[in-house]
Amino acid sequence: MSPRALALLALLLGLGTVAAFVALLSIFTIPLGPTWYLGALALSVVLALAAVWQARQWLTVSALTVSVLLLAAAGFFNFVMARVPATRPLFTVGQPAPDFTLPDAAGRTVSLSDYRGKKPVIVVFYRGYW
Amino acid sequence: MLAVSPDANERSQQLADRLRVGYRFLSDPDLAVTRRLGLVHIGGGQGGKDVPRPATVVIDRQGIVRWAAYADNFQLRPDPLEVRRAIRAL
Repeated sequence: MSPRALALLALLLGLGTVAAFVALLSIFTIPLGPTWYLGALALSVVLALAAVWQARQWLTVSALTVSVLLLAAAGFFNFVMARVPATRPLFTVGQPAPDFTLPDAAGRTVSLSDYRGKKPVIVVFYRGYW
Repeated sequence: MLAVSPDANERSQQLADRLRVGYRFLSDPDLAVTRRLGLVHIGGGQGGKDVPRPATVVIDRQGIVRWAAYADNFQLRPDPLEVRRAIRAL
């Protein structure tokens, strides 16, 4: 493949990944997890490197710059911004769950202990849409 | 299945009822309960707001915790198959 085609492919992959990420944000709160976008952006860096290796032109060098910056930004998002610090949850496996009471969407009060002796419960804590 | 978040949740509940999934959405707008349970990501939301630390807890009929997963990256959630295995093991 020509260096020009490689550089364009790298740019397309890098910018396309960002566009796909943003587009998916409107469908899912968490778009598919970090593996796919980090992988795609790393691949675009490899393509751009191959392009620069073949010919050092402004197009190949810009493609490399753009793809490295995108990968760095995505890495910062995944490894720094998305990190959740450890907490000390009161739930301990093998121990009784601490009870809590909260209103449901209809305003009725629900306690975890309402289910004791009746049903197993999955409790999911999620960030919501803030 | 109880789903706890700071949201008001009417719309989520309507959707869950329409899909006939047994979710019950509970609202903890000031995170008081979430905080007491040790599940707040301090300053983790937009504009430095506190948000829940994503967590999934399986509790058996006797009220004993049988399985729990806490997120250390907010993009990641437990594998649904793993949660299902935890429930089947009850």
